[in-house]
Amino acid sequence: MVLRRKVGEAIRIGDDIKITIQEVQNGRIVRFGIEAPAEVAVHRLEIYELIQAENRAASSADALAWLKGESDDTGAGEDE
Amino acid sequence: MTQVQVKMSNEMPQSAVEFLFPQGIAGFPDAMRYGFIYEGKGNMVCMQSIDCPEAAFILTPWDESRLGEVPRLNREQCNSLEVEGASEVMWMVVLNPFIDTEWVTANLKAPIALSESTHKGIQLIRPEPDHEIRYHWMPQPK
Repeated sequence: MVLRRKVGEAIRIGDDIKITIQEVQNGRIVRFGIEAPAEVAVHRLEIYELIQAENRAASSADALAWLKGESDDTGAGEDE
Repeated sequence: MTQVQVKMSNEMPQSAVEFLFPQGIAGFPDAMRYGFIYEGKGNMVCMQSIDCPEAAFILTPWDESRLGEVPRLNREQCNSLEVEGASEVMWMVVLNPFIDTEWVTANLKAPIALSESTHKGIQLIRPEPDHEIRYHWMPQPK
């Protein structure tokens, strides 16, 4: 879906999320405001994807075993 | 509410009940409820998802002597934790022992904030480039 909006106009996603266009700088940088419930996380995409990948790399069903000193899984190179 | 049997040191979250992450953890959207399991190894604790077995993280408390002041929470983040201010929050960092053969790394870009009073948590994602995602926390145990 692609929508055209002017500065000051907004879109709503579902009942709870409102995104308002606040400013367009030099015709290429858009500043917008987001209103969303506290349980909705809002992040820049590239940062979020970085954290997603690192969380997956750091998480393991073997985490408790590692903590107990029972795991030798230090699989370097399993980066995502 | 599900009770999780845990054994904690004084530095660890003291509650034996589950912690709810209303925003989830990035990469594990279905895992919102976590328990903490302390195995008597220093100041590290396992944060284990109750919903998703593979979502298990090793955490350690934020060390101000190494990392400086704890991060700050904005109003929305405090609302998510249902706390009034930063003094009610305990900060921890996620360790990664699985990515480097020499070092256990710490993700300083996305620390964990916990409220022991509301039993809620969030992973704070810090977009600033000066926060390391694989900070060398300690050498791998031999």
